[in-house]
Amino acid sequence: MPADETKPVVFLVDDSVDVHRLLTARLRHENIALRTFTKGADALAAAKSQAPATILLDLQMPGMDGFEVLRQLKDNQATHSVPVIVLSGLAGSEDKVTAFDLGATDYVTKPCDLAELRARLRASLRTDRLLRLLADRADVDGLTGLGNRAHFNKRWVEKVAECKRYKHPLSLAMLDVDLFKRINDTYGHPAGDEVLQGLAQILQRECRETDVPCRYGGEEFALIMPNTSPADAITLAERIRSSLAKVMWARHPETPVTVSIGLAGTAQGQAALPPEQWIEAADRSLYAAKHQGRDRVVSTDVMGNPASGGSAAGPVPKQGNLAKAG
Amino acid sequence: MPIDPFASPDSPRPRVPLKSEFASDPEMLEIVELFVQEMPGRLEQMHNSWNNNDLQALKRAAHQLKGAGGGYGYPAVSSAAAALEQALKSVLGGQSAAEMDSLRRQFNELSELCRSVTVK
Repeated sequence: MPADETKPVVFLVDDSVDVHRLLTARLRHENIALRTFTKGADALAAAKSQAPATILLDLQMPGMDGFEVLRQLKDNQATHSVPVIVLSGLAGSEDKVTAFDLGATDYVTKPCDLAELRARLRASLRTDRLLRLLADRADVDGLTGLGNRAHFNKRWVEKVAECKRYKHPLSLAMLDVDLFKRINDTYGHPAGDEVLQGLAQILQRECRETDVPCRYGGEEFALIMPNTSPADAITLAERIRSSLAKVMWARHPETPVTVSIGLAGTAQGQAALPPEQWIEAADRSLYAAKHQGRDRVVSTDVMGNPASGGSAAGPVPKQGNLAKAG
Repeated sequence: MPIDPFASPDSPRPRVPLKSEFASDPEMLEIVELFVQEMPGRLEQMHNSWNNNDLQALKRAAHQLKGAGGGYGYPAVSSAAAALEQALKSVLGGQSAAEMDSLRRQFNELSELCRSVTVK
Protein backbone atom coordinates (compact mmCIF):
# COMPACT_ATOMS: atom_id res chain seq x y z
CA MET A 1 0.00 0.00 0.00
CA PRO A 2 1.73 3.17 -1.11
CA ALA A 3 -0.19 5.29 1.39
CA ASP A 4 1.54 3.35 4.16
CA GLU A 5 4.99 4.40 3.12
CA THR A 6 4.69 7.74 4.83
CA LYS A 7 3.17 6.31 7.99
CA PRO A 8 5.32 5.24 10.90
CA VAL A 9 5.58 1.46 11.07
CA VAL A 10 4.42 -0.07 14.35
CA PHE A 11 5.06 -3.73 15.17
CA LEU A 12 2.70 -5.75 17.30
CA VAL A 13 4.32 -8.91 18.70
CA ASP A 14 1.84 -11.17 20.50
CA ASP A 15 1.15 -14.88 20.25
CA SER A 16 -2.59 -14.30 20.53
CA VAL A 17 -4.34 -13.67 17.23
CA ASP A 18 -7.19 -12.12 19.22
CA VAL A 19 -4.85 -9.37 20.34
CA HIS A 20 -3.81 -8.79 16.71
CA ARG A 21 -7.41 -8.43 15.65
CA LEU A 22 -8.42 -6.27 18.58
CA LEU A 23 -5.57 -3.85 18.22
CA THR A 24 -5.79 -3.76 14.43
CA ALA A 25 -9.43 -2.69 14.87
CA ARG A 26 -8.71 -0.31 17.73
CA LEU A 27 -5.76 1.37 16.06
CA ARG A 28 -7.41 1.54 12.64
CA HIS A 29 -7.75 5.31 12.75
CA GLU A 30 -4.26 6.00 14.01
CA ASN A 31 -1.83 7.30 11.46
CA ILE A 32 0.32 4.16 11.55
CA ALA A 33 1.13 1.08 9.49
CA LEU A 34 0.58 -1.81 11.90
CA ARG A 35 2.44 -5.07 11.24
CA THR A 36 1.56 -8.10 13.36
CA PHE A 37 3.81 -10.97 14.44
CA THR A 38 3.01 -14.05 16.49
CA LYS A 39 6.67 -15.00 16.97
CA GLY A 40 9.35 -12.90 18.60
CA ALA A 41 12.07 -14.21 16.30
CA ASP A 42 10.15 -13.10 13.18
CA ALA A 43 9.62 -9.63 14.62
CA LEU A 44 13.33 -9.32 15.48
CA ALA A 45 14.38 -10.21 11.95
CA ALA A 46 11.88 -7.77 10.43
CA ALA A 47 12.84 -4.98 12.85
CA LYS A 48 16.38 -4.95 11.53
CA SER A 49 15.27 -4.06 8.01
CA GLN A 50 12.02 -2.16 8.58
CA ALA A 51 13.08 0.22 11.35
CA PRO A 52 9.74 0.28 13.22
CA ALA A 53 8.87 3.53 15.00
CA THR A 54 7.54 1.61 18.00
CA ILE A 55 7.15 -2.03 18.97
CA LEU A 56 4.19 -3.25 21.05
CA LEU A 57 5.53 -6.36 22.74
CA ASP A 58 3.86 -9.17 24.68
CA LEU A 59 6.00 -10.83 27.35
CA GLN A 60 4.55 -14.32 27.75
CA MET A 61 4.99 -16.08 24.42
CA PRO A 62 5.92 -19.65 23.63
CA GLY A 63 9.41 -20.01 22.16
CA MET A 64 11.26 -16.71 22.44
CA ASP A 65 9.55 -14.67 25.15
CA GLY A 66 9.26 -10.91 25.27
CA PHE A 67 12.17 -10.44 27.68
CA GLU A 68 14.49 -12.19 25.22
CA VAL A 69 13.11 -10.12 22.33
CA LEU A 70 13.89 -6.96 24.33
CA ARG A 71 17.39 -8.20 25.10
CA GLN A 72 18.15 -8.90 21.46
CA LEU A 73 16.62 -5.63 20.24
CA LYS A 74 18.95 -3.72 22.55
CA ASP A 75 21.97 -5.77 21.53
CA ASN A 76 21.61 -4.88 17.87
CA GLN A 77 22.80 -1.52 16.55
CA ALA A 78 19.95 -1.32 14.01
CA THR A 79 17.19 -1.84 16.57
CA HIS A 80 18.83 -0.46 19.69
CA SER A 81 16.85 2.78 19.82
CA VAL A 82 13.39 1.54 18.80
CA PRO A 83 10.91 2.46 21.57
CA VAL A 84 9.21 -0.64 23.00
CA ILE A 85 5.85 -0.57 24.79
CA VAL A 86 5.38 -3.80 26.69
CA LEU A 87 1.80 -5.09 26.56
CA SER A 88 1.55 -7.72 29.21
CA GLY A 89 -0.79 -9.68 31.40
CA LEU A 90 2.01 -9.76 33.97
CA ALA A 91 1.10 -6.98 36.37
CA GLY A 92 3.73 -7.71 39.00
CA SER A 93 6.20 -4.94 39.63
CA GLU A 94 9.10 -7.39 39.31
CA ASP A 95 8.21 -8.06 35.67
CA LYS A 96 7.85 -4.34 35.06
CA VAL A 97 11.22 -3.62 36.60
CA THR A 98 12.85 -6.36 34.53
CA ALA A 99 11.25 -5.08 31.33
CA PHE A 100 12.31 -1.49 31.97
CA ASP A 101 15.82 -2.61 32.89
CA LEU A 102 16.05 -4.44 29.61
CA GLY A 103 15.20 -1.19 27.83
CA ALA A 104 11.41 -1.07 27.51
CA THR A 105 10.17 2.52 27.24
CA ASP A 106 6.65 1.90 28.54
CA TYR A 107 4.55 -0.84 30.12
CA VAL A 108 0.83 -1.41 29.76
CA THR A 109 -0.98 -4.26 31.49
CA LYS A 110 -3.61 -6.28 29.64
CA PRO A 111 -6.52 -6.05 29.47
CA CYS A 112 -5.70 -2.45 28.69
CA ASP A 113 -7.72 0.70 28.36
CA LEU A 114 -7.70 1.37 24.64
CA ALA A 115 -7.80 5.15 24.94
CA GLU A 116 -4.78 4.97 27.22
CA LEU A 117 -2.91 2.64 24.87
CA ARG A 118 -3.57 4.96 21.95
CA ALA A 119 -2.29 7.93 23.96
CA ARG A 120 0.82 6.04 25.03
CA LEU A 121 1.46 4.91 21.47
CA ARG A 122 1.21 8.48 20.22
CA ALA A 123 3.61 9.66 22.91
CA SER A 124 6.03 6.92 21.91
CA LEU A 125 5.81 7.90 18.24
CA ARG A 126 6.54 11.53 19.17
CA THR A 127 9.66 10.44 21.04
CA ASP A 128 10.76 8.29 18.13
CA ARG A 129 10.28 11.15 15.68
CA LEU A 130 12.43 13.47 17.80
CA LEU A 131 15.13 10.81 18.15
CA ARG A 132 15.19 10.37 14.39
CA LEU A 133 15.36 14.11 13.85
CA LEU A 134 18.34 14.23 16.16
CA ALA A 135 20.06 11.30 14.50
CA ASP A 136 19.42 12.76 11.05
CA ARG A 137 21.26 15.90 11.96
CA ALA A 138 24.69 14.99 10.74
CA ASP A 139 26.57 16.57 13.62
CA VAL A 140 24.53 15.51 16.65
CA ASP A 141 25.04 12.33 18.63
CA GLY A 142 21.63 10.70 19.01
CA LEU A 143 22.23 9.18 22.43
CA THR A 144 23.73 12.11 24.31
CA GLY A 145 22.62 15.14 22.29
CA LEU A 146 26.22 16.36 22.22
CA GLY A 147 28.09 17.09 19.02
CA ASN A 148 29.38 13.93 17.37
CA ARG A 149 32.83 13.20 16.02
CA ALA A 150 32.18 14.94 12.69
CA HIS A 151 31.09 18.03 14.60
CA PHE A 152 34.20 17.83 16.75
CA ASN A 153 36.52 17.56 13.73
CA LYS A 154 34.97 20.64 12.15
CA ARG A 155 35.06 22.78 15.27
CA TRP A 156 38.50 21.62 16.33
CA VAL A 157 40.14 22.70 13.08
CA GLU A 158 38.49 26.13 13.45
CA LYS A 159 39.65 26.53 17.04
CA VAL A 160 43.23 25.52 16.34
CA ALA A 161 43.34 28.06 13.49
CA GLU A 162 41.95 30.80 15.77
CA CYS A 163 44.47 29.93 18.47
CA LYS A 164 47.29 30.26 15.97
CA ARG A 165 46.04 33.48 14.39
CA TYR A 166 45.06 35.38 17.55
CA LYS A 167 47.63 33.81 19.88
CA HIS A 168 44.89 32.73 22.25
CA PRO A 169 45.30 30.02 24.84
CA LEU A 170 43.62 26.74 23.91
CA SER A 171 43.04 23.42 25.64
CA LEU A 172 41.70 20.09 24.55
CA ALA A 173 40.46 17.25 26.78
CA MET A 174 39.92 13.65 25.79
CA LEU A 175 37.74 11.82 28.31
CA ASP A 176 37.24 8.07 28.54
CA VAL A 177 34.82 6.35 30.93
CA ASP A 178 36.76 3.91 33.10
CA LEU A 179 35.93 0.19 32.78
CA PHE A 180 32.92 0.96 30.63
CA LYS A 181 32.75 -2.52 29.16
CA ARG A 182 32.36 -3.93 32.65
CA ILE A 183 29.31 -1.68 33.25
CA ASN A 184 27.71 -2.89 30.02
CA ASP A 185 28.51 -6.52 30.74
CA THR A 186 27.38 -6.41 34.36
CA TYR A 187 24.34 -4.15 34.23
CA GLY A 188 23.30 -4.27 30.56
CA HIS A 189 23.42 -1.82 27.70
CA PRO A 190 20.69 0.48 29.05
CA ALA A 191 22.89 1.03 32.13
CA GLY A 192 25.83 1.83 29.86
CA ASP A 193 23.69 4.27 27.90
CA GLU A 194 22.70 6.03 31.11
CA VAL A 195 26.33 6.47 32.05
CA LEU A 196 27.10 8.07 28.68
CA GLN A 197 24.07 10.34 29.00
CA GLY A 198 25.01 11.17 32.59
CA LEU A 199 28.52 12.19 31.63
CA ALA A 200 27.12 14.24 28.73
CA GLN A 201 24.87 16.08 31.19
CA ILE A 202 27.79 16.82 33.49
CA LEU A 203 29.79 18.14 30.54
CA GLN A 204 26.96 20.43 29.54
CA ARG A 205 26.48 21.63 33.09
CA GLU A 206 30.11 22.24 33.94
CA CYS A 207 31.22 23.75 30.64
CA ARG A 208 31.15 27.40 29.74
CA GLU A 209 29.22 28.55 26.73
CA THR A 210 32.29 28.76 24.53
CA ASP A 211 33.41 25.20 25.32
CA VAL A 212 32.51 22.48 22.86
CA PRO A 213 31.76 19.06 24.40
CA CYS A 214 31.44 16.19 21.92
CA ARG A 215 30.99 12.45 21.91
CA TYR A 216 34.12 11.29 20.17
CA GLY A 217 32.99 7.67 19.83
CA GLY A 218 32.00 4.78 22.08
CA GLU A 219 32.70 5.81 25.66
CA GLU A 220 35.17 8.53 24.63
CA PHE A 221 34.34 12.22 24.76
CA ALA A 222 36.26 15.28 23.62
CA LEU A 223 36.05 18.76 25.08
CA ILE A 224 37.37 21.83 23.28
CA MET A 225 38.16 24.72 25.64
CA PRO A 226 38.96 27.90 23.68
CA ASN A 227 40.76 30.70 25.52
CA THR A 228 41.64 28.31 28.30
CA SER A 229 45.13 27.82 29.64
CA PRO A 230 46.29 24.34 30.71
CA ALA A 231 45.97 25.37 34.38
CA ASP A 232 42.34 26.46 33.94
CA ALA A 233 41.63 23.37 31.88
CA ILE A 234 42.87 21.19 34.76
CA THR A 235 40.45 22.93 37.13
CA LEU A 236 37.52 22.35 34.80
CA ALA A 237 38.55 18.75 34.08
CA GLU A 238 38.85 18.07 37.81
CA ARG A 239 35.34 19.42 38.33
CA ILE A 240 34.02 17.07 35.66
CA ARG A 241 35.97 14.12 37.05
CA SER A 242 34.75 14.58 40.61
CA SER A 243 31.15 15.31 39.55
CA LEU A 244 30.95 12.00 37.71
CA ALA A 245 32.51 10.06 40.57
CA LYS A 246 29.82 11.44 42.92
CA VAL A 247 26.85 10.34 40.81
CA MET A 248 24.62 7.72 42.41
CA TRP A 249 23.42 5.61 39.49
CA ALA A 250 19.83 4.41 39.66
CA ARG A 251 20.65 1.08 38.07
CA HIS A 252 23.76 0.36 40.11
CA PRO A 253 23.94 2.62 43.17
CA GLU A 254 26.64 0.35 44.62
CA THR A 255 28.98 0.96 41.68
CA PRO A 256 30.28 4.47 41.05
CA VAL A 257 31.60 5.34 37.61
CA THR A 258 34.81 7.25 37.01
CA VAL A 259 36.46 8.91 34.05
CA SER A 260 40.06 9.38 33.01
CA ILE A 261 40.89 12.70 31.35
CA GLY A 262 43.87 13.56 29.17
CA LEU A 263 44.58 17.23 28.49
CA ALA A 264 46.70 19.02 25.93
CA GLY A 265 46.93 22.80 26.04
CA THR A 266 48.87 25.97 25.64
CA ALA A 267 48.69 29.25 27.55
CA GLN A 268 50.82 31.16 25.10
CA GLY A 269 48.73 30.85 21.99
CA GLN A 270 51.68 30.14 19.80
CA ALA A 271 50.99 26.58 19.01
CA ALA A 272 51.91 25.82 15.46
CA LEU A 273 50.88 22.27 16.09
CA PRO A 274 48.55 20.79 13.46
CA PRO A 275 45.11 19.81 14.82
CA GLU A 276 45.71 16.05 14.67
CA GLN A 277 48.92 16.32 16.72
CA TRP A 278 46.99 18.06 19.48
CA ILE A 279 44.63 15.11 19.57
CA GLU A 280 47.56 12.71 19.74
CA ALA A 281 49.03 14.70 22.62
CA ALA A 282 45.73 14.64 24.53
CA ASP A 283 45.42 10.91 23.81
CA ARG A 284 48.87 10.34 25.27
CA SER A 285 47.82 12.19 28.43
CA LEU A 286 44.69 10.06 28.57
CA TYR A 287 46.77 6.92 28.18
CA ALA A 288 49.00 8.07 31.03
CA ALA A 289 45.92 8.74 33.21
CA LYS A 290 44.67 5.21 32.56
CA HIS A 291 48.01 3.67 33.39
CA GLN A 292 48.42 5.69 36.55
CA GLY A 293 45.28 4.02 37.87
CA ARG A 294 42.33 5.81 36.17
CA ASP A 295 39.95 8.37 37.73
CA ARG A 296 42.41 11.21 37.26
CA VAL A 297 43.45 14.11 35.07
CA VAL A 298 46.81 14.20 33.28
CA SER A 299 47.87 17.28 31.37
CA THR A 300 50.46 18.00 28.68
CA ASP A 301 51.61 21.43 27.61
CA VAL A 302 51.91 21.25 23.85
CA MET A 303 54.53 24.01 23.87
CA GLY A 304 56.92 21.59 25.49
CA ASN A 305 56.56 22.51 29.16
CA PRO A 306 56.68 19.39 31.30
CA ALA A 307 53.52 17.39 31.76
CA SER A 308 51.72 17.81 35.05
CA GLY A 309 49.13 15.66 36.75
CA GLY A 310 46.10 17.61 37.79
CA SER A 311 44.42 15.12 40.02
CA ALA A 312 44.81 15.75 43.69
CA ALA A 313 41.61 13.95 44.63
CA GLY A 314 42.21 10.76 42.69
CA PRO A 315 43.62 7.61 44.19
CA VAL A 316 47.33 7.19 44.68
CA PRO A 317 48.88 6.24 41.33
CA LYS A 318 49.54 2.56 41.08
CA GLN A 319 53.06 1.41 40.45
CA GLY A 320 54.00 -0.92 37.65
CA ASN A 321 52.23 -1.67 34.45
CA LEU A 322 48.55 -2.20 34.24
CA ALA A 323 48.05 -4.94 31.71
CA LYS A 324 45.06 -3.26 30.14
CA ALA A 325 43.68 0.23 30.41
CA GLY A 326 39.89 0.29 30.32
CA MET B 1 -17.92 -39.24 18.70
CA PRO B 2 -17.22 -35.51 18.35
CA ILE B 3 -18.05 -33.42 21.36
CA ASP B 4 -20.97 -31.12 20.91
CA PRO B 5 -19.74 -27.89 22.40
CA PHE B 6 -23.29 -26.91 23.14
CA ALA B 7 -24.09 -30.08 25.02
CA SER B 8 -23.94 -29.05 28.60
CA PRO B 9 -24.52 -31.86 31.05
CA ASP B 10 -22.88 -29.94 33.88
CA SER B 11 -24.88 -26.79 33.40
CA PRO B 12 -28.50 -26.92 34.31
CA ARG B 13 -28.78 -23.13 34.38
CA PRO B 14 -30.77 -21.51 31.58
CA ARG B 15 -28.56 -19.63 29.17
CA VAL B 16 -28.92 -15.85 29.30
CA PRO B 17 -27.44 -14.22 26.17
CA LEU B 18 -24.26 -12.37 26.95
CA LYS B 19 -24.07 -9.31 24.73
CA SER B 20 -20.94 -7.53 23.70
CA GLU B 21 -20.44 -4.07 25.18
CA PHE B 22 -19.22 -3.07 21.74
CA ALA B 23 -22.19 -4.35 19.73
CA SER B 24 -22.99 -0.84 18.58
CA ASP B 25 -19.39 0.16 17.91
CA PRO B 26 -18.90 0.06 14.13
CA GLU B 27 -15.15 -0.14 14.61
CA MET B 28 -15.57 -3.37 16.54
CA LEU B 29 -18.65 -5.04 15.07
CA GLU B 30 -16.81 -7.09 12.49
CA ILE B 31 -14.29 -8.63 14.85
CA VAL B 32 -16.88 -9.18 17.58
CA GLU B 33 -18.88 -11.15 15.02
CA LEU B 34 -15.77 -13.13 14.18
CA PHE B 35 -15.17 -13.84 17.87
CA VAL B 36 -18.73 -15.09 18.32
CA GLN B 37 -18.55 -17.18 15.13
CA GLU B 38 -15.33 -18.82 16.24
CA MET B 39 -16.47 -19.42 19.80
CA PRO B 40 -17.93 -22.94 19.17
CA GLY B 41 -14.56 -24.09 17.78
CA ARG B 42 -12.73 -22.54 20.69
CA LEU B 43 -15.08 -24.18 23.19
CA GLU B 44 -14.68 -27.52 21.48
CA GLN B 45 -10.93 -27.27 21.79
CA MET B 46 -11.19 -26.37 25.44
CA HIS B 47 -13.49 -29.32 26.09
CA ASN B 48 -11.10 -31.60 24.23
CA SER B 49 -8.28 -30.38 26.43
CA TRP B 50 -10.46 -30.94 29.48
CA ASN B 51 -11.46 -34.46 28.42
CA ASN B 52 -7.86 -35.35 27.59
CA ASN B 53 -6.73 -33.89 30.89
CA ASP B 54 -4.39 -31.56 28.96
CA LEU B 55 -4.42 -28.85 31.59
CA GLN B 56 -1.50 -26.95 30.06
CA ALA B 57 -3.42 -26.45 26.83
CA LEU B 58 -6.46 -25.45 28.82
CA LYS B 59 -4.41 -22.93 30.76
CA ARG B 60 -3.15 -21.34 27.53
CA ALA B 61 -6.72 -21.12 26.24
CA ALA B 62 -7.88 -19.55 29.50
CA HIS B 63 -4.96 -17.12 29.41
CA GLN B 64 -5.87 -16.01 25.90
CA LEU B 65 -9.55 -15.62 26.74
CA LYS B 66 -8.62 -13.61 29.80
CA GLY B 67 -6.73 -11.19 27.58
CA ALA B 68 -9.27 -11.17 24.76
CA GLY B 69 -12.72 -11.35 26.38
CA GLY B 70 -12.79 -7.80 27.69
CA GLY B 71 -11.34 -6.53 24.42
CA TYR B 72 -14.31 -7.93 22.52
CA GLY B 73 -16.73 -6.44 25.03
CA TYR B 74 -17.17 -9.42 27.37
CA PRO B 75 -15.44 -8.53 30.63
CA ALA B 76 -17.35 -11.39 32.36
CA VAL B 77 -15.54 -13.85 30.05
CA SER B 78 -12.22 -12.29 31.02
CA SER B 79 -12.96 -12.59 34.75
CA ALA B 80 -14.12 -16.19 34.45
CA ALA B 81 -11.08 -17.04 32.32
CA ALA B 82 -8.78 -15.38 34.85
CA ALA B 83 -10.36 -17.41 37.66
CA LEU B 84 -9.96 -20.61 35.63
CA GLU B 85 -6.35 -19.80 34.85
CA GLN B 86 -5.71 -19.22 38.54
CA ALA B 87 -7.39 -22.49 39.51
CA LEU B 88 -5.37 -24.32 36.84
CA LYS B 89 -2.17 -22.84 38.20
CA SER B 90 -3.03 -24.13 41.69
CA VAL B 91 -3.89 -27.58 40.39
CA LEU B 92 -0.80 -27.78 38.19
CA GLY B 93 1.27 -26.77 41.17
CA GLY B 94 -0.01 -29.75 43.22
CA GLN B 95 -3.40 -31.40 43.14
CA SER B 96 -5.83 -31.65 45.98
CA ALA B 97 -9.47 -32.72 45.87
CA ALA B 98 -10.68 -29.28 46.86
CA GLU B 99 -8.65 -27.63 44.13
CA MET B 100 -9.97 -30.03 41.53
CA ASP B 101 -13.51 -29.19 42.62
CA SER B 102 -12.80 -25.52 42.35
CA LEU B 103 -11.24 -26.10 38.93
CA ARG B 104 -14.30 -27.98 37.72
CA ARG B 105 -16.53 -25.15 38.91
CA GLN B 106 -14.41 -22.50 37.16
CA PHE B 107 -14.33 -24.51 33.97
CA ASN B 108 -18.10 -24.87 33.92
CA GLU B 109 -18.53 -21.21 34.70
CA LEU B 110 -16.34 -20.16 31.78
CA SER B 111 -17.91 -22.69 29.41
CA GLU B 112 -21.34 -21.43 30.33
CA LEU B 113 -20.39 -17.83 29.67
CA CYS B 114 -18.72 -18.73 26.39
CA ARG B 115 -21.82 -20.55 25.23
CA SER B 116 -23.96 -17.52 25.86
CA VAL B 117 -22.00 -14.89 23.91
CA THR B 118 -23.98 -13.11 21.20
CA VAL B 119 -23.17 -9.96 19.33
CA LYS B 120 -26.31 -8.09 20.36
